[in-house]
Amino acid sequence: MMAEYILIALAPVIGGLIYGLERVVRARMQNRQGPPVLQPFYDMYKLLDKHSSIVHPMHVSLAILHFITVWAVVALVILGGNFLYVIFLHLLSTIFIILAGFSVRSVYSHVGSNRELLAMLAYEPIFILMATAYYLLNGSYDIALIRANDAQILPLILIFFAFLLTIPLKLKKSPFDACEAHQEIVGGVEIEYSGIYFEFLYMAKWLEYVFIYMLLLLFAGNNILLGFVLAILVFLLVNLVDNSTSRVNIIDTVKIIMLFGLSLSILNILGIIYV
Amino acid sequence: MELKIRNFLVTSFVVVLGFYSLYLFSISSIFSYTFSYEMHIVISVLDTILLVYFLAQGIKYKDKLVYILASTQIILYGAILYFAPNMQGVDILSDELSRVMFLVINIVGGAIIIYALEYIESEDFSRLKKNSFIVILILFLGVMNTLVSTNNIEIFFFLFELTTLCSYLLIRYRGDRVAVENSLRALWMNQVGGVAILFALVFSISFYNTVYFSELLKVVDGVFLIPVVFLVIAAYVKGASFPFQSWLLGAMVAPTPVSAILHSATMVKIAPFIILKLSPAFSPLLSITISLFAGFVFVGASIMALNRDFFKEVLGLSTIAILSLIMALAAMPSEEARYAAIVLLVFHAISKALLFLQAGILEKNYHLKYISDIDTLADKAPRTLFFIIIGFASLTLPPFGAFISKFLAIEAVTSQILINPLYIFVLLSLIIGSVFLVILYFKIITKLLNKEAFKNSLKEKLDFKYRLSSNILFVSLFIGIFLVNSLNILEILIPLILIFISPFLFKYFLFKNAPRVKEYNCGEKGEFEVGVYNYALSDDTIEKMMYISIALIIVHVVVGVL
Amino acid sequence: MFNLKKYRKKSPWILHYNAGSCNGCDIEILASLSPRYDLERFGVINTGNPKQSDVFLVTGPVTYRSRERLVELYTQMPTPKVVVAVGSCTCTGGVFREMYNVEDGIDRYIPVDVYIPGCAATPELIIDGVVKALDILEEKTKDLEDAKQLYAKPKEQDGVVNLRDSALKVGEHEKD
Repeated sequence: MMAEYILIALAPVIGGLIYGLERVVRARMQNRQGPPVLQPFYDMYKLLDKHSSIVHPMHVSLAILHFITVWAVVALVILGGNFLYVIFLHLLSTIFIILAGFSVRSVYSHVGSNRELLAMLAYEPIFILMATAYYLLNGSYDIALIRANDAQILPLILIFFAFLLTIPLKLKKSPFDACEAHQEIVGGVEIEYSGIYFEFLYMAKWLEYVFIYMLLLLFAGNNILLGFVLAILVFLLVNLVDNSTSRVNIIDTVKIIMLFGLSLSILNILGIIYV
Repeated sequence: MELKIRNFLVTSFVVVLGFYSLYLFSISSIFSYTFSYEMHIVISVLDTILLVYFLAQGIKYKDKLVYILASTQIILYGAILYFAPNMQGVDILSDELSRVMFLVINIVGGAIIIYALEYIESEDFSRLKKNSFIVILILFLGVMNTLVSTNNIEIFFFLFELTTLCSYLLIRYRGDRVAVENSLRALWMNQVGGVAILFALVFSISFYNTVYFSELLKVVDGVFLIPVVFLVIAAYVKGASFPFQSWLLGAMVAPTPVSAILHSATMVKIAPFIILKLSPAFSPLLSITISLFAGFVFVGASIMALNRDFFKEVLGLSTIAILSLIMALAAMPSEEARYAAIVLLVFHAISKALLFLQAGILEKNYHLKYISDIDTLADKAPRTLFFIIIGFASLTLPPFGAFISKFLAIEAVTSQILINPLYIFVLLSLIIGSVFLVILYFKIITKLLNKEAFKNSLKEKLDFKYRLSSNILFVSLFIGIFLVNSLNILEILIPLILIFISPFLFKYFLFKNAPRVKEYNCGEKGEFEVGVYNYALSDDTIEKMMYISIALIIVHVVVGVL
Repeated sequence: MFNLKKYRKKSPWILHYNAGSCNGCDIEILASLSPRYDLERFGVINTGNPKQSDVFLVTGPVTYRSRERLVELYTQMPTPKVVVAVGSCTCTGGVFREMYNVEDGIDRYIPVDVYIPGCAATPELIIDGVVKALDILEEKTKDLEDAKQLYAKPKEQDGVVNLRDSALKVGEHEKD
């Protein structure tokens, strides 16, 4: 019990370490040196030291609410709540950042929010079908129960591939990073935040990493070694794909993920019922 | 002065109705009553007068469809009266389903009538016409209350046609050409529903020799379900599924209380009510057909709404979508699905009524009908904006009631998949339709939330009755969360706190030591004029959807004889 | 409380603005972010966004079209900030000095901290210049800094500093 609470409190730190490690790995793949692993924390200290400016208070408050909600989602996953409920609470956090994007009169902010809304069309069905598959195999949505069972990656292999398709979308990596699109819409929703208020969004990004990797670890059940191996393999694969592909526009992103992701998920569920 | 007396009387009447329906909900006995023979004669005479009135309207406005359908109805009704078996049975049967519907009708309808008292004052009509508006609304409450508790299909038909009459009179209330056209369209489409009920009666009398719902449910066997199928088709007409959706969209020209009470919160709820009432009699094949059709309408209506600009039309299309979802859930043979359907029905009624009331306030106080005209609502009307966002959030996000029902629905459909794998398409349409609804609601907020940097919320001046009605609905949303009892306390509290501390955060955390700076537009100085994204379906896609829906309805009839 | 100032050096985020240059210096700046010179190992990110950057790298002699945007971007950057003028054109006007269409360098409009000469400045010089700028950044305070022209002093409204109208259009005067 205590261990879970400490883990929840340290979740941003772990997320920051994963984010920093990722920059190093990406740089080494490109044959350069890359920043130190603790770079996200240096960024955090620097951002705390700026005299931040804002556009209006509602915009900033919504970003802080978004951060708190993502932390609550990670906390629920660690404590072992109801999987379906966690997906919808995550929807609430996305809605907060979308509202934040829509509340300023900035072109890029609105485009970013709109693309986030559309991207929701791509990943929500796949997450809910994943929850459905877990229910069909385990009899309940309880995360603690799924973690206590054996590894279920083999019956869920097609859904695992569908989930891999949505990981670049959620972690804002190529080829599906049209929501953030750094050179195109200058970061989308993040554009109007500065200083410590940007730090909240930055930390929400780290927590998103923790959330996705914890969902990945669910595929391994109680087999910690398998989970570890899966996490490292997926980490390397996602960064390799990020380095080597270019961005796809948002409509094509949604079409690709829905076409392949949904068909793989449905095939898998039919397989669970009949096999 | 007499205005105040009238308002006070009406308000106290609806408050008493509300409390009485709460009381009825808490006791759990079944109440039954039989009308006398004379009463039946009176009802038949009134029904015939009603049908003749419809015929007269058809002749007066030279509308062929109204004329033909009214004549068909008169002929069929005459035949039924002639051949009907002379039986006595229970006419009024009030069971649990009726009591839930009482709650919805009286509380939501009551709040809307309080709203209408103020709304109609600001219109430009004679005193008599304004009073008759309130009278028709109150009569409509009575008709609805009887309709959900009746057991006799003939009386059900009479009340169904009475609701069509109320709808017709209220849509053409403003008297201009568009209103009259739309009211005639609503009339003939609802008459199609009436014809369907009459066909159901014909088959029910000839094959099962009964005109009572309870008897029909007992003796119908899985093989010959035609009466049930025709009643379901009548439900589709009343609930404006495809291809009947145009009457509901056209009805949005009526005054807003009409849209709220008739076309979102109470009258169109007859559709899922019929399906809930008849669902013990469905064969598995009929269940899956209804669920697939309703799922298709759910996704289709949500996509169709993505390019509409008229705010009430967007709300109308999303009503059609959620009604189909309730019907899909109600048709499934599991208890959890029925429970989810009832929860969604109640909470959708409250949320949609709240949204329509705010749309009416926008129309009256700020003259804003189209979404593209709205700008900086956060400064002019913060309270209305808050209710609109809560209205949208309560249909999609935790911890509100509609979310709980979707949660239960996903569990229920998943259990059904093990029995019949075709339910996976129902699950898919449930998930994809919900996401489209989220996209629809939150893309509208594009225009609503733009805020100027230095104006901190002004007080919004609203009439007491507007505030009272919105507050009643808002509070019932809240209380409802705790009554449904499906999430544990932590799951309820986290989003509740997050959603409800946000207005206080906006008001009190003003971040005074941060300088305010302009938005980034690559250094440009011009103001950005915000537009809303529209995703339009091409016209022949919509045509294909209509044809698919007609084909699916014919499949229903075929399934009924199998 | 430990010294947060030393972290300003460890994560400098750059805003790169072209105020009318021939793109030669821009190419050299982008080259220094490439694997051969690799500025990212110092934690440098090229953000396109003034609100999230500390170092304002400007190239080009200021043309008429770009002067308003220059001051606007400078105003939107939160303090502490440094300005680095890259290339001879940005420092003094370069080969275009005293022509009718340029303003002879950015220091007529915004206060500059480091001048990097060269036409085009080489990546090594740019890296040297940025490192010098980071030393200056560490010493700066968080007070608001004003631009020199096309700028109105920020006013207070409801106790809050309002920078929204501080960068002016050409022809606008300071409103009282």
